[in-house]
Amino acid sequence: MVAAVNREIQAIVLLLVGGAALRITASGTYLNYVKESMRPWLLLSGGALVLLGVLVLVDIIRSARRTATADRLESTSGGSLAGDVISSANPETADETSHAHAHPHGPGGPRSAWLLLLPVFAIFLVAPPALGAYTAARGSTNATPPAVAEAPPLPPGALVDINVNDYVARAVWDEGLTLQGRRVRMTGFATPNPAGGWWLTRLTLTCCAADAVTSRITPLQVPDLPANTWVSLVGAWVPGGGTQSEQAIPKLKVQSLTRVSAPSDPYE
Amino acid sequence: MTQLDSRDTHSRNRESYRPGVLEGLSALLIVLVLGQRWIVGWFSAPALQTAATIFVAIIVQALPFLVLGTVLSGAIAAYIPVSFWQRVLPRNSALAVPVAGCAGAVLPGCECASVPVAGGLMAGGVAPAAALAFLLSAPAINPVVLMSTFIAFPGKPSMVLARLIASLGTSVIMGWLWLRFGRSQWLRIPVRDHLVGRTSFETFRLTTTHDFLHAGGFLVIGGLTAAALNVVVPPDLLRMLADQPLVAILGLALLAVVLSICSEADAFVAASLTQFSYTARLAFLVVGPMVDLKLIALQSGTFGRGFASRFAPTTFVVAILASVVVGWWLL
Repeated sequence: MVAAVNREIQAIVLLLVGGAALRITASGTYLNYVKESMRPWLLLSGGALVLLGVLVLVDIIRSARRTATADRLESTSGGSLAGDVISSANPETADETSHAHAHPHGPGGPRSAWLLLLPVFAIFLVAPPALGAYTAARGSTNATPPAVAEAPPLPPGALVDINVNDYVARAVWDEGLTLQGRRVRMTGFATPNPAGGWWLTRLTLTCCAADAVTSRITPLQVPDLPANTWVSLVGAWVPGGGTQSEQAIPKLKVQSLTRVSAPSDPYE
Repeated sequence: MTQLDSRDTHSRNRESYRPGVLEGLSALLIVLVLGQRWIVGWFSAPALQTAATIFVAIIVQALPFLVLGTVLSGAIAAYIPVSFWQRVLPRNSALAVPVAGCAGAVLPGCECASVPVAGGLMAGGVAPAAALAFLLSAPAINPVVLMSTFIAFPGKPSMVLARLIASLGTSVIMGWLWLRFGRSQWLRIPVRDHLVGRTSFETFRLTTTHDFLHAGGFLVIGGLTAAALNVVVPPDLLRMLADQPLVAILGLALLAVVLSICSEADAFVAASLTQFSYTARLAFLVVGPMVDLKLIALQSGTFGRGFASRFAPTTFVVAILASVVVGWWLL
């Protein structure tokens, strides 16, 4: 039997859920779960929940005061007179008090509200990290066909910063045409390759972490790294790894490898 | 003796207070905070950690939409008189269904917003069949969702039209089916009597608070289930289904139910499932916003388990049939 959710609990749940939303948005950890574009909506909805919680608190304090006033009236003026005094002095208050006793919002308070504490505990206590090598190693799909049939040329420059999924798309679906003879730099984490070595990996979100898509590249001639180590690689495209297939994993001839800390937005 | 007396007055002074609940919660919080190190330790297994991340992600993603939906349902309860719906919707329920279905196009949100709004409409006196048509169509045919579908399928604008027609068709057919076969005892129309305040604003505040806490709890159940299945079901399982056309359609429809992706994002996921036919992906887009794990939890919380256990499977079948017919015609 789950205890009914009285107004005090309602206020606490609202403040905790709203506070958790504001907290992860302010600290930037929301980027482990959703895209950056959610930021204003999270601030707005978190703020609205905190406001609702405060309104419930105000309501609790107000009705406690009303009850106290009614009690005082009852104890100072005795017997049947008390009822007269209350109802004639302020019928609204009397009505509200009896209403509050008949429906303390308690049994009406939804029991399922307790469950809302689960994500709050998860956020504050467990703080689940961004998805990483475990997710990346699960599926065999690597290169989803790009929206545009042929990618535009890379921007000019001796060294071009590029997304891992962009590199994969160019290497697999354009057969490396736009990568030929260019030096590129990419940041990602290591996912152990069961056949030995590791893949440079980055996950892409379309909405939230539940729909993450993996992009992997095989770096050539690199030292072994533990799973989930973040690195920045500079290198050049070399043919191999397959083309025109969703399972293709393109290759990169590595010129330099730098260990870096995880970026604030772990997804692409 | 004196101690007994004081306890007696204490409990009398707090008649509406459930002793123990607040104290229990405080004790739980203290235990959790002190035991954080051990709790984090339990979650160090990668599979469990991944499930926790996906669970939090689904809740965080859905939260703004749920708040929007409950604020709207509160506003409907507080500021829109019943007479308004009687004026706007045709008196004849059979006509009100398609009108309400098309009205779904104006609610810019995903499915988490539409459940509380539909509950508010029913409580406000709108015919259940019409409110149900709105419930199904709103998350599927609003401009934001159609726009993201257009962007996700750049070479295939007919996908947008197919999604619009199949989704609207499914919601109208479901409304009519409810009108013909539905029994009122299956459906628990949300009662709002205890949520009527002295002022409109108080009604708004009470309804919004109640609806958020209520629907939020069921969203958590749905999020937990979806996160668990996301980790348990091997992602490559579906690839094997892609070769047989009919199995593929059923497979993607089931995937939509399991993944519980927000309707504003599902088009991008569908676009990435290139090994499947367009009709199968259309089924994914039509089923997803109408039947998924978090929606089933939300619906059974709002309208009762007896309702959800009949409505969700029927919607699933009708949505697949509509997708097959429209896909064969347009795609």
